[in-house]
Amino acid sequence: MNILLFAALILYFAATVLQFTAAAMKKPALHTAARLVLLAGFAAHTAFTVWRGIAAGRLPLANQFEFASGFAWAAVVLGFLLRHRLGQEGILTAAAPAAFLILSYAAFQPRDIKELMPALRSTWFALHIGSAAFSYAAFAIAGGLGVSYLAKLRRGTEETEPGMKQLDYMGYRLICLGFLLLTVVIFSGAIWAEQAWSSWWSWDPKETWALITWIFYAIYLHQRLRLKWQGKRMAILAIVALVLVLFTFAGVNLLLPGLHSYASAG
Amino acid sequence: MKKVFSFLRSMRFGMILLVLVMLCSLAGSLIPQGEQDMTYVRSYGASAAVTLKTLGLTDIFHAWYFILLEILLCGNLILCSILRFPAARRAFAGLKEQTRTAEPDQPLAAGQAEHVREVLRRNRFRQDGSLWHKNGAGVYGSFLVHLSILVILLFGSLVLMTPQVQDRTVMPGESLTLEDGTVITCLSFHIEDETGRLDYASRLRAAAPDGREVKEQEIRVNEPLRFRGYKIYQQTYGTAGRVQIRNSDNGAEEIMYLMEPCFLSIDGRNGVYYRALYPGFLQEEDGSYTLITSTSSGYADPVYDVQSIVDGSAASVLVFPGETLQIGEHSFTFLDPAEYPGLRIKRLSPVLYGCLYFGFALMVAALYLCFFATPVCVRVEEDGYAIRSPKSQEGLLISLQAALQGENASGGNP
Ligand code: HEM
Repeated sequence: MNILLFAALILYFAATVLQFTAAAMKKPALHTAARLVLLAGFAAHTAFTVWRGIAAGRLPLANQFEFASGFAWAAVVLGFLLRHRLGQEGILTAAAPAAFLILSYAAFQPRDIKELMPALRSTWFALHIGSAAFSYAAFAIAGGLGVSYLAKLRRGTEETEPGMKQLDYMGYRLICLGFLLLTVVIFSGAIWAEQAWSSWWSWDPKETWALITWIFYAIYLHQRLRLKWQGKRMAILAIVALVLVLFTFAGVNLLLPGLHSYASAG
Repeated sequence: MKKVFSFLRSMRFGMILLVLVMLCSLAGSLIPQGEQDMTYVRSYGASAAVTLKTLGLTDIFHAWYFILLEILLCGNLILCSILRFPAARRAFAGLKEQTRTAEPDQPLAAGQAEHVREVLRRNRFRQDGSLWHKNGAGVYGSFLVHLSILVILLFGSLVLMTPQVQDRTVMPGESLTLEDGTVITCLSFHIEDETGRLDYASRLRAAAPDGREVKEQEIRVNEPLRFRGYKIYQQTYGTAGRVQIRNSDNGAEEIMYLMEPCFLSIDGRNGVYYRALYPGFLQEEDGSYTLITSTSSGYADPVYDVQSIVDGSAASVLVFPGETLQIGEHSFTFLDPAEYPGLRIKRLSPVLYGCLYFGFALMVAALYLCFFATPVCVRVEEDGYAIRSPKSQEGLLISLQAALQGENASGGNP
């Protein structure tokens, strides 16, 4: 079944190349092709995830590999949903590389299926980890849109152009969604921690970093309101914030083990 | 004075406080917290360890300045946001008024106004003459977000600061009595379930002091026992040695648990001094034993390290489960070790927890209001329309433009 995973990876890569080429050459037909390839990758990825869930007999989000795979999957889902709602191809130009990079990271993680640790057997598991996957995915696409914004700016596109305003707006909306979901992640985690370990907050590194990330995004939202920051500054903040998200996701497990250390278990 | 007050209530000060909380959290995640002094000396050297300790960086989340930051944040939130509630109440009426008198800055060709109305209808706007509006309740979004932060900070701190938590161990078959007379009995404990799957679980019976209310439940991680204001968690487990002591004179028998070194003696001179229980051993070629101090596979080959003491002279012996040491009229039969649970017993304040969890729910709902129910008003005239909202309405503009372009396209190609 690993073949499905590698098929998804290759198709995401192909979709990324096609999206970039289409964006650079401004060819709508290429965008359509990229979309179809991304959809094919998504189908393979979904089939792999369903197979893994059945083989493990549980939600396949229980370790670093499965969570990273879920994160990439959520990025594609959000990409397609927003592309459908806003009709903006830019979303997929950011979602495809995000999905490819995250799934590549996943592919380097141990993939053996293990029994669910006792601490993870909880009704909060699905809500906590599912919303984390979608929250991180929203932040990843927002960061990708930030990169795309800065790249266009470098190529001489004016900030006042409608396309740029839309990029900026989509990034902001994704951050709103991600922020709401990250709040759900933190609160469901707090209630779960009280249920499992008796304290709703224990300054465990994963918790602390989720809080740091959350505060950073709160600052992003306020700067937008307070100083009417838009465009370039917001793009830079979205990229810096994404670095924090990635550290919370992967760096903490590697460098700052704590109560959440099972998250890195193979 | 006025300047100081206006700074204290400003969003700018709020953001400075948030950055400071973030920096403290960063330090707290990088520097191990609440360790013994020697740990810091070993990791950072003596002088750095003293500096860390003096600056409170070794327990930063309880340091006075971190608590002060939280208090300042609450004050700032109250001043800059909560006190603006009356303004929020008037905001939607103001927005409507502003839109009613706004110049339609988005021009429309003849007949296009109906398409705009159609899009607004589809987006569940309400009509009031030429004014279309929706999400009036959204004006309370940020007020409620900040209110919920206050609720969470207040009740969350109260919950963390008033811990009534005790960690107790209890042997299977034994009981412990809590301060109000509630009796907790551990009926059994296991580490694996029948299928061999890891499952640290204790079957407990809790009984009220008057014995009238009794509850029995198997507790495991994520499934604590709730009983009359207590919450009892399966926290840890340990392994204790067991010895059966028999007096051959009178036939008296007793089983004792061995958890720490102790001298098992009737007369204070003769008996067995229990030193330790080891999970396993390796037998060398010369017949000697190397004791294993820790394993991940539990106590697979347990061995007792004891001294038999007769008339004040001690001899060290390794004893395996099932073996007996005879000392005088007493026989000491060492049994298979027993696993026992470590329980965490917490006294709950349901009101505090209720308020904290209400704060969580309120914040999620309020964020939804903030982000996905932003108040919007649109004035639609035949020659143009105007959108007014506290936030950018790029999404609505995109759907309006798409509808108008579609109409143009279909107009051009009948
Ligand atoms: C962790 C702390 C905080 C969080 C999570 C938070 C969250 C929010 C959110 C989500 C919004 C709405 C943003 C949007 O709609 O784009 C907002 C608005 C706002 N926040 Fe905060 N906030 C926090 C702290 C503060 C502080 C300390 C201040 C102090 C001055 C503040 C002042 C404001 C103001 C004035 C608004 C705009 C209100 C309006 O125009 O309706 N916030 N905040």
